[in-house]
Amino acid sequence: MNSAEEALRGFPNRETGRDVSRYIGVELHEVEGAPGESSPRVVGHAPASDYLRGPSGGVRAGALLTMLDSVGGLCGGLAALPEGWVVSTNVSARSLPVNHVGPLRVDAWVLRQGRASVVTAVTIRDEGQGNALVVDGVLTSAVLVPENGPPQWTRPLSLSPGPPLPAPVPTLTEWLGARPLGADEVEMPLAPSLRNPWGILHGGAVASLVDVAAEHATGGVTTDVVLHFLAPNRVGPVRASAVPIGAGRRADGTVMRVEVRDVGADRVTALAIATAQV
Amino acid sequence: MSTTYPPDRHLLRDLRLSFEHVDEHTSVAWMPVVPELAARDGSARAGALATLVDVIGGGLAARAAQPDWIATADLTLHLTGAATSGRVEARGRVAHAGRTTVVIEVGLSDDRGAPIGLATMSFARLPRRVDNPDLSDSPTTGMSSMALPSSGLQASLLDEIGVEVVDRANGTVESPVRDWSRNSLGSMQGGAVAVVIDAAAEAASAVGHAGEVVVSDLQLTYLALARVGPIRTRAEVLDARPGVVVTHVELIDTGSDDRVTTIGRVVATTSLRTA
Repeated sequence: MNSAEEALRGFPNRETGRDVSRYIGVELHEVEGAPGESSPRVVGHAPASDYLRGPSGGVRAGALLTMLDSVGGLCGGLAALPEGWVVSTNVSARSLPVNHVGPLRVDAWVLRQGRASVVTAVTIRDEGQGNALVVDGVLTSAVLVPENGPPQWTRPLSLSPGPPLPAPVPTLTEWLGARPLGADEVEMPLAPSLRNPWGILHGGAVASLVDVAAEHATGGVTTDVVLHFLAPNRVGPVRASAVPIGAGRRADGTVMRVEVRDVGADRVTALAIATAQV
Repeated sequence: MSTTYPPDRHLLRDLRLSFEHVDEHTSVAWMPVVPELAARDGSARAGALATLVDVIGGGLAARAAQPDWIATADLTLHLTGAATSGRVEARGRVAHAGRTTVVIEVGLSDDRGAPIGLATMSFARLPRRVDNPDLSDSPTTGMSSMALPSSGLQASLLDEIGVEVVDRANGTVESPVRDWSRNSLGSMQGGAVAVVIDAAAEAASAVGHAGEVVVSDLQLTYLALARVGPIRTRAEVLDARPGVVVTHVELIDTGSDDRVTTIGRVVATTSLRTA
């Protein structure tokens, strides 16, 4: 059973998971697509907040991936209505070297919509840097029918991130509660605030843990992530181990295989390949 | 289109792949590294390795999904080393087999057994149709190969597929959909699609300030089958720095209302032969 099937157990509260949106500060709007386009488009805006930045000064890949997952996931979910809703199954994204100014604009649109899955393209651009491309990504989601039915939204949908978080806002690593276990492992508890509306660890949090693990193992900056969600993280703690693939080093950084485990459930929950520029 | 699959002259035979099905969840495959597969630096091109991955991954996923069938959703390949001689080994395993998706992980190693890369594939699980191949009687363990005694590449892999560079600066290449590179559904085989995207990114990467680079990563999302052809690429260089070029490539079936069939993100880096 994977994330998708286990998530069928319920869609307890669509407000669960809003904590993640609030942390990254993303505001979401459903917008009209191109002429003749029937699928929804979603645009998000988020500030390039200092607390989202890593040691290099740029917004961390984990935060960017969380934005991608949030906006792309909502776009895929709206495309799946009224029959169902979605859960992320895999994401791939490349961050480009941009000196982030913000605000960041996240655009998501549907590339393919089937009965079982939705593929969304997601780009993140820096409006403060002449709309420079920050991230080029793709999110694939499985379509599910929750036991209580899919969420009901007023369309076109707009979602505010909510009131600003009280200062001092934790850094991404602090927000996750991630701590190193060794040279190539990090671990985090599964805090209720990090769960998504399905009640499992938010995909953005998993992606952020992969980012933190890759950076911890290499001392570099994560630039490229391919992430497959294999099973939900329900129990915790959640642990990520990053190991170089072969020689690992290339002109664009070190390429790592990252495995994520729900230690409490004793199973592998995600598999990622991450490149970190050293 | 040929009536038997694969025909005597076909990608799956002429690459001279061999397989060992270890168990239900693990397979190993080998591909000889021949000059016809070479990228600019003489090592086996990423698209050729992706073809090996596609074949072993598809086989594993099809078995894992039985009695259902599968559709390839995406393929990623990250190389950290180069295959330059002998044969390259692909060791695939089922990372996940659920009711909706199957995920395969494939490790690649060179002739000395050194790891040179890692690939993943994911598949959507579909209800079986009557025209889907029945794998229930196929051997679950042992060695196999589709190569015939006469099989082998007679030209470069790009030429066998029919890839022609139309506009190097814009990464535009074009290719027919030949019987040689069709899959059992009659559309371009997923590995051949990877080769075309590899070629487009290679062309686009040659222009700019990056210097001599070769394709190291392929991240492909399959959106629709490339059935008719000719297929054409549209490429945009997202980042070009010394030793690194990142390109976004779209594959369009011009014979099917310019439908976008595949999108790819391709990273080219300084040759991995010295890595």
